[in-house]
Amino acid sequence: MTRESPEQINEAASAWAIRAERGLTEIEEARFQDWIAGDPRRLGAFGRMTALLERTERAAALGTSLKHDALVARKHTNLNRRTWLAGGSVIAASAVGFSIFGVLNRLKVSPIDKVYRTNKGGKQVVALDDGSVARLNTTTTLSVAYTKAHRMVRLEGGEAFFEVAKDALRPFIVQAGDTLVRAVGTSFNVSCLPNSPVEVLVREGVVAVSRAARIQQPVRVVANSKATIVKDQAPVRLTTVDAAALNRDLAWQDGRIIIEGETLAAAAAKFERYSNIRIVVGNGALARERISGVFDADDPVTFARTVAVSLDAEVVIGADEARIVR
Amino acid sequence: MIESVSREKTHVDGSQVARVAPSSFELRSRSRWLERNVLPHEITLRKWLQSRDLAGLEIEDIIQETYSRILALDTFDHISKPRAYAFQVAYSIVLDHVRRLKVVAIDAVPDLDAMSDSFDAFTPEVILSARQDLKRLAHDLAALPDRVREVFQLRRIDGISQRETAFRLGIAESTVEKHMARGLVMMADWFGLGGYSGAPTSSCRTPQSNRRDDPRKP
Repeated sequence: MTRESPEQINEAASAWAIRAERGLTEIEEARFQDWIAGDPRRLGAFGRMTALLERTERAAALGTSLKHDALVARKHTNLNRRTWLAGGSVIAASAVGFSIFGVLNRLKVSPIDKVYRTNKGGKQVVALDDGSVARLNTTTTLSVAYTKAHRMVRLEGGEAFFEVAKDALRPFIVQAGDTLVRAVGTSFNVSCLPNSPVEVLVREGVVAVSRAARIQQPVRVVANSKATIVKDQAPVRLTTVDAAALNRDLAWQDGRIIIEGETLAAAAAKFERYSNIRIVVGNGALARERISGVFDADDPVTFARTVAVSLDAEVVIGADEARIVR
Repeated sequence: MIESVSREKTHVDGSQVARVAPSSFELRSRSRWLERNVLPHEITLRKWLQSRDLAGLEIEDIIQETYSRILALDTFDHISKPRAYAFQVAYSIVLDHVRRLKVVAIDAVPDLDAMSDSFDAFTPEVILSARQDLKRLAHDLAALPDRVREVFQLRRIDGISQRETAFRLGIAESTVEKHMARGLVMMADWFGLGGYSGAPTSSCRTPQSNRRDDPRKP
């Protein structure tokens, strides 16, 4: 048997990387596993192609510079009256407990360089000036203010994943509500959703979570763990997350929603962030059925239809809803 | 020829447990780590390999297998120095290969012994900074064939879905995927060479060429 050349492997690996990005069907997954098992170099070639495909996402930054005017809100827009934190007492309190007083002070005078926004169902990859990358999920607003000493970003609402370029001299700080997340070089997810506590999920490295309004030591959050910042006076809650849960929580980056053994009602609610088509679940028993699966976040109708088939129910499509009934 | 990637996991005590092959989804998530931690050192690794006696192995084989062995790991938590780790893995691939050869070229052995220390001392000429890499990426994208570039523009710069891209260009989704795959292979080749540096029609690949000849470099 002639040995497959590395170039041939690269070509096949590239095709698999493209298909895997949109998600493989079950049949494709089986073929993929067979392909991987056929030669020890294929796994690596696939990983390398996937990594290189990831790299091309940074090209979004080239686009933002072309479409500068459309995407960038300048300092003197509706944002100019806002300060980064509400009230001077908050800032004073933080000075005692947490040494980033200097940062906060600077923030009050530092301009908000850029503001990035996504609409419902939208996603955006933002390449920041220092080489860090922010991935914005649906309905998210992110303000960026870099100074010589600090890299500050404010998550005004929504969810974003940060891959921070290492720069020990210039800490990267995310503000979400009154929560501050400080990192040097790491990757982590921050969500700040209506009626939910701020959550910080760390995939790599370590971040320090603290609250601007409280005198307290920052809480260290290590890789594969999640910090939940509940209410003003409650302590930061730490939980560890396994690989499956991590993948599930970060699946939005691939435009997916992963559901594992959740009730239909809870699953349906997850789609509301991404689409204006609401999923309505008929009766109580149906709403309590537990389901699992990987779905496209922007396609609630297919979700409803798939679920209906497995639960022996039907889908009635209305103007702005998909109703699952049995 | 090259040893197969272990599909089993060896415990600290040496016992082996059967292991489910990671799904494409899991591998994609692991590859993100590669993008951040190994990809930036690939060119340095290739240069280092170029200066070695590889006992008949091709550099591209070693690169692929290096990624294989890293990707087969369940966790990267223990890898604090990804560059040194990647060099170590590449080195062990060459070493395994030499050990399996029935007849070992006498002069190959001392070179390999010397290799084990040299990657610690090896000074990287090129570690891509994110900014440099973005520039390189821009050059590479511009050098793609028209249709392929168009697809990348829509998918990556304008951030449009595959479905919508197919619709706008009036082609099938599978065709969009083919263009993407073609472009990705080209950019992967250029990445290995340190960025796009020739005429797009040229099929001449010169992995031995010195990047200092690159006209884009100041």
